Amino acid sequence: MTSRYEIGFIVTPEVNEEEVKKIIETITSIITKSKGVIENLDEWGRKKLAFPIQKNLEGYYVFVQTEVDGAVIATLERRLKQMEKVLRFITLRLDDKLKKSNKLTKRWAKIDKLRRKSMASSNEEKESEDFTESEEESDATEK
Amino acid sequence: MQPRSNSGDNKPPKKYYSARKKFCAFCKDKVTLIDYKNHKFLENFISETGRIFPARVSGTCAYHQKQLSKAIKRARQMALIRFTEEKKRTS
Repeated sequence: MTSRYEIGFIVTPEVNEEEVKKIIETITSIITKSKGVIENLDEWGRKKLAFPIQKNLEGYYVFVQTEVDGAVIATLERRLKQMEKVLRFITLRLDDKLKKSNKLTKRWAKIDKLRRKSMASSNEEKESEDFTESEEESDATEK
Repeated sequence: MQPRSNSGDNKPPKKYYSARKKFCAFCKDKVTLIDYKNHKFLENFISETGRIFPARVSGTCAYHQKQLSKAIKRARQMALIRFTEEKKRTS
């Protein structure tokens, strides 16, 4: 079972850009070896941290979006933990969130339809008497 | 039995202020996924001391408040948002 994941990590500012590339390569090689697909690779570059981590005020941010097997993520996390140059990392599964978002978009489309219907019907009944009621109706549908 | 009418029929209650109706900032723009990487946007929902605003203050709906609080916590983990206010040296 493959699913979509997002991995983000911060590298210490002491290292060169070449070393950062090496770290990225090791991670991408682990993914590609196990028949994973790298969808997106975001390099933010050097950025000021919101608070110092191990007395470092800056960090090199990298975000990777992939589609791999779940077992690979476990090995990746182990590797990231062992790396001393990586200050922090985070792994997220995006599948269930995308499913939920699809549900939401469907629900909103339904609500929009209802609202349009109610607006159309209210406009037909009383064209210019008072707008307050039609507004109230639309509010009720929102909830 | 008559349905109980509001007491304001004879004497309308005094309105001291008309509260602006709050609305969910995410439902308005139809945001489905709140990204923790978008830290500049998330900073609108934390106080000066770094605390997450409750839903009754910010007006976000329950669904989005849940997502938002998680996103803020993730952003904190990645040092994109501060946990507390910055230290000030007094002496």
